[in-house]
Amino acid sequence: MVAFTLDGRSASAPEGELLVHAAARHGTFIPTLCHDDKLDPYGGCRMCVVDVEGAPRPMPACATRVAEGMVVSTNGPITEFQRTLTEMLLSEHLNESPGGRPNELRDLANELGAEAPFILPDAKREEYDDRNQLMGYDPDACILCARCVRYTQEVMQCSALSLEGRGGHARIVPTWELSWLDTECELCGGCLSVCPTGAIYEKFEEGTKQPERQLEQVRTTCTFCGVGCQIDLNLDPQTKHIVKVTSKDEYLPNEGNLCVKGRFAFNFVHHPDRLTQPLVRGDDGELHPTTWEHAIETAAAGLKKVIAEHGPQSVGFLSSARLTNEENYLIQKLARTGVGTNSVHSCEST
Amino acid sequence: MGRGASSNSIPEIERARFLFVIGSNTTEAHPVLALRIKKAVRDGGTLVVADPRKIWLTKLAKRHLQLRPGTDVWLLNAMMHTILTEALQDEDYIRDFTDDFDAVREVVMRYTPEDAERVTGVPAEDIRATAREYASERHAAIFYTLGITEHACGVDNIWSLSNLVLMTGHLGYESTGLNALRGQNNVQGLNDSGANPMYLPGYQSVDDPEIRRKFSEAWGAEVPETPGYRLDQMMSGLHDDRIKALYLIGENPAQTEPNARHVEEGLGKIDFLISQDIFLHDMTRKHADVVFPASSFAEKDGTFTNTERRVSRVREAAPLPGDAKGDREIVILMAKALGAHWPEYPGAESVWNELADLAPAWYGLRYDRIEENGLQWPVPEMGHPGTPFLHAPAPARPPGRGKFFPVEYQRPIEEPDSEYPLVLSTGRTLYHYNSATMTMRESGITDKQEEPFFEITSEDALALGLGEGDWARLVSRRGELQARTQISDRVFPGLVWMALHFAEQKVNWLTHDVGDPLIGTPEFKISAVRVERV
Repeated sequence: MVAFTLDGRSASAPEGELLVHAAARHGTFIPTLCHDDKLDPYGGCRMCVVDVEGAPRPMPACATRVAEGMVVSTNGPITEFQRTLTEMLLSEHLNESPGGRPNELRDLANELGAEAPFILPDAKREEYDDRNQLMGYDPDACILCARCVRYTQEVMQCSALSLEGRGGHARIVPTWELSWLDTECELCGGCLSVCPTGAIYEKFEEGTKQPERQLEQVRTTCTFCGVGCQIDLNLDPQTKHIVKVTSKDEYLPNEGNLCVKGRFAFNFVHHPDRLTQPLVRGDDGELHPTTWEHAIETAAAGLKKVIAEHGPQSVGFLSSARLTNEENYLIQKLARTGVGTNSVHSCEST
Repeated sequence: MGRGASSNSIPEIERARFLFVIGSNTTEAHPVLALRIKKAVRDGGTLVVADPRKIWLTKLAKRHLQLRPGTDVWLLNAMMHTILTEALQDEDYIRDFTDDFDAVREVVMRYTPEDAERVTGVPAEDIRATAREYASERHAAIFYTLGITEHACGVDNIWSLSNLVLMTGHLGYESTGLNALRGQNNVQGLNDSGANPMYLPGYQSVDDPEIRRKFSEAWGAEVPETPGYRLDQMMSGLHDDRIKALYLIGENPAQTEPNARHVEEGLGKIDFLISQDIFLHDMTRKHADVVFPASSFAEKDGTFTNTERRVSRVREAAPLPGDAKGDREIVILMAKALGAHWPEYPGAESVWNELADLAPAWYGLRYDRIEENGLQWPVPEMGHPGTPFLHAPAPARPPGRGKFFPVEYQRPIEEPDSEYPLVLSTGRTLYHYNSATMTMRESGITDKQEEPFFEITSEDALALGLGEGDWARLVSRRGELQARTQISDRVFPGLVWMALHFAEQKVNWLTHDVGDPLIGTPEFKISAVRVERV
């Protein structure tokens, strides 16, 4: 542990801890935009700068490590710097929320009381479109913090996105300006999840009337693969339809990361092909819609007949890993106590 | 070792210093878990991949052991040969925590790396180097999936890995162990919950009269003594009159089982078929007598158990479509109709509590403790913090000693010949899930991958006159299908590969149904085929 001074108070931290984390543990929240705990320290946007005694200029708290005797000030003249920086970013921030995702820059501006003093004449950037249906990008909402590019490089370790152009022409593009479908991109949407301004967003949510904060979130466990990622199903409060899937850094075991299926393959839930009525095969050999009473009666009678003629051992149950523990428990109990057989298994038993 | 589960946890992966991934295409089958492997390598860990295909992870690997399909036992025995020859084993661990080491020593000493090179195609020096690195790094972890288990010798493969782990004492602490990455979301929980012919909930053996008595008393109904049929026995039972009725819940064996046309024939023969599912598929449309419209994961309460034994909550978010009902409710209605006397189950939690009361390793795991992040079993008491890694301080197998099982190499059931000269292996891709009833309904994803394809090397494709994207016919002794040619350096000459996701062209029309003699797991990974121009 090392001792340091934070806004005039003595504080301590493990040696080498990032200043932004050490301050947070002492109840001092330093605003950040380009920082993400999943990524290497970057110090690009300078929103988190603090005064460090003896340093020739303000230092980024997200990329500066605590050292013995360091004297740090977060609440002096430096806050004026943060406001100015916010205003500079706002002066080219033409579209605040193309897909309804939360906007950390807007939140910060509200907190600091910052407003765009004017809009830069060359703020408008070239529009960007892509044939993929999952992720959209609006350069006018982008602050070029490169969280998305760094996520692809550091976490996914693929070459999917790049920063292209300089100055007023700079923007994020899929590598070699290909379509997102033709790069190494695996459509995991990690770029979108780390974007602080919602410049990368769920394309199907473009121009949404229900921004993310007005959606209902229900935490659950993903149904694809054995990793068991924790997700939030985001529901339209009126229709109760899932409109998108998100996750959070504090969720175990995935820490906010998802894959293409977990993030985007949810429409099967509301698909018109879903079965909505019980069906029973009629004398004409076809399946016909019926009532639950009749379907259950028919099913039970069918099983009872087979049991009577061939014994309980002639009935088999195949359960599924799609089902919960509780459902599987009841299914094996049904096999064993309702029919009287231990023949209950599944194709996923390995 | 004594547990049918991964020994260690997902968050520990990124702190492993040596990672041996064998028979697991992790970035496609477990993409988010693979991020931890990527991070471990980025932080300086060493990755070695053993796989017949040049999977994505080989890009990060220090070494790719591109073994011929089905030769895992040779590779692993030769690694153990190296460890023993160079005295890299953990003698203390072997003495204090294992039984029958000498039997394995006797066998593996006959498996030299040079001979292994001839059988597996992996250079002897690569086998030696990998063995040395694995044995000498304390935080060395093994990850495997269905590339190990989906063989007629699947159990042998697992025993080989277990021998390797026990020999080096890589068990019972953080960032090590033998980690079976479960393919599907609740495979672990399905077995934990007793949907298994051999086990009642909590891996309590049906053969044990005391256990049967305990459950019979708790349930107020006799647990049958007659052993149940495994999946493969049920499938063969369709054809020989042992099985006359089948109740399928979220399952379509005519897609997922090997020799699938034969399975579908069998399903057409039996007296009575019930399907409880969220979609109607071709097979149920043709053969089901009753179809119950059921619930998706978004419409129900309960728990799933992931590959690291973490029990997490599933919560109802959306209403059921139309007249569909929750799976729990349907099963309860069926129990009533069949005359079973069950208690009232007001919600999922009451079912869970009954399970936890009866299964000692789950006893302390209750809903109020998993509102946030889940807990990893065993959780034997109410205040127990859960178990991130197993086999500490000693292997779980009583009395705290792991058992070595000597394993000899068995040839695959079906090898290429002049009529069927290519080996077909199967697997998953990132963009789809199993029979793809869910993912094929997502146009943003099918943009990336929709049509059936198979991978083949440019040499083999050239010899057959096939170009990229050409339709080709794949033929085995069981059936045939058509798929587009994808010329790829991921496979090697003589090996073709196809994903299992395509309902119109099911790769399981081609696979054979001779499985592991002990547990019946099919050999999805090796069939002999020929490829023809269409």
